[in-house]
Amino acid sequence: MDAENTFETVHLLLEDWAERFETPDPTRLEVYMKHVDDLVPAVVGLRVKKLGYLAAIVGLDPGADTEELEILYHFCTQDLMIILRFRVPKTDASVSSLCDIVPSAESFERELCEMYGITIVGLRNPGHLYLPDDWKEGVYPLRKGVDPRIAFQNN
Amino acid sequence: MEEIIERKPFEVTVGPQHPALKEPGNFQFTVDGEIVTNAAVRLGYAHRGIEKAAEERNWIQNIYLVERICGICSHIHATAYCLAVEHLANIQAPPRAQAIRVLVSELERIHSHLLWIGVAAHEAGFDTLFMYSWRDRETIMDILEKLTGNRVNYSTNLLGGVKIDVDGEHKTGILKGLDILEERTKHYLNIVTTDAFFLQRTRGVGTMTQRQAEVMGAVGPTARASGVARDVRIESPYGAYDEFRPNLIIEQAGDLEARFIVRVKELFESYRLVREILDRLPEGELSVRMPRRIKPAEYAMRVEAPRGELFYFVKSNGTDKPERVKVRTPTICNMTTVVKLVVGHQLADVPLILAGIDPCFSCNDRMVIVRDNRKIETIESRR
Repeated sequence: MDAENTFETVHLLLEDWAERFETPDPTRLEVYMKHVDDLVPAVVGLRVKKLGYLAAIVGLDPGADTEELEILYHFCTQDLMIILRFRVPKTDASVSSLCDIVPSAESFERELCEMYGITIVGLRNPGHLYLPDDWKEGVYPLRKGVDPRIAFQNN
Repeated sequence: MEEIIERKPFEVTVGPQHPALKEPGNFQFTVDGEIVTNAAVRLGYAHRGIEKAAEERNWIQNIYLVERICGICSHIHATAYCLAVEHLANIQAPPRAQAIRVLVSELERIHSHLLWIGVAAHEAGFDTLFMYSWRDRETIMDILEKLTGNRVNYSTNLLGGVKIDVDGEHKTGILKGLDILEERTKHYLNIVTTDAFFLQRTRGVGTMTQRQAEVMGAVGPTARASGVARDVRIESPYGAYDEFRPNLIIEQAGDLEARFIVRVKELFESYRLVREILDRLPEGELSVRMPRRIKPAEYAMRVEAPRGELFYFVKSNGTDKPERVKVRTPTICNMTTVVKLVVGHQLADVPLILAGIDPCFSCNDRMVIVRDNRKIETIESRR
């Protein structure tokens, strides 16, 4: 399937859940999703249509003064990339786990969980993957304005 | 009177000081006699906070930072980063620089695969093969040192090009080295496919079907040994790979033997590519001018590291520092397969199954905690 057909299929599949689509590059399609609750059905749709494999999940903090975090799911097929973008509030950052549909998502989700403090609903093992066991609870090192050194104070 | 003994699962902890590998990782194996019934992995012992540190450094300093994520595939990390940043800045390295990047990438792949053959052979108890392959690997290390000035962190990349050139003397030295290595590699292919003792440790061991490899998200030679036809150099050519195209090396068996065969055959492919690049190296400049600040944008770059697909996400914010650098290394994808594949195998097969994915814990992890007189610091606080 070429880029035009692939992106057209994604458009048709996700148009009800998407706020807007952007093509910053002929090989990239960015889908700005309306609600984080639509993650699982959207990914099921991509899997059923065989529209790529999950290459990475990227967390983004737009800034210490902002109230939302972004989560980007990168799906790749040949030279094409489909990026699903979700926004979650920092105070109640939560997203469903993809492990039942994409087992390889587990390590990406555990990293997202400990680095950004995003609760992954349905994650079987939410324990630390990278950070030490005695890491201070509530310190999420990749959030903007967080100095990771405070995680060791009073330990 | 007959005593009834309750049979409880027995847990074997391996690591973090790993008895086989020179890098730290922790594995919990539940065993029933000699058979592994469950496995779990704990990473992070070499986590150095590089993604956070990258946000505090400028675009140029970060080349050297990401190059230090891994001591084996340092060049490909810097290449992925530079390609992503160049895309954000809307510039392109000249054709000669792109070809030199690919040349060093392939030389790096050769040294990485030869290193892996030695490590995996050692885990299989075949130390003669380990010593031969590491001796032969010195040929490629000498080539890399002569070409770049370093054996490990080559520092070949600049933003906008490369800082090294290839002259006639380099070309002669590389071609001479490749002739030696090609003969040796034929010998290795013969050994890994015919040696009866070696095959007892590899044939039918750690078998992963194509479906399992796809579901578990395996990448690189580990996936290609299970029939997954995926190689970023071919699927999505970057740098000069659209000019110098590799052939896909794929096996269907999915066992350890297939992983050996794929990597050894990839060595031949790398020799061919290096010769082709040296034969048709484009003339011209080595670099173009790069702006100091980059307007807000983001880009995700995929490259084929020796261990598989390496993913970089870079976001700029209009300053001379990145807003975000995300690194997803191939080992984290392949590690899932180890935890699943060891179940049902004898404990003695575990080291070789783990070595079969060519794990790199430094790539996986990115922060070390230094404990000094009860004062706990990060590497960052010591800068």
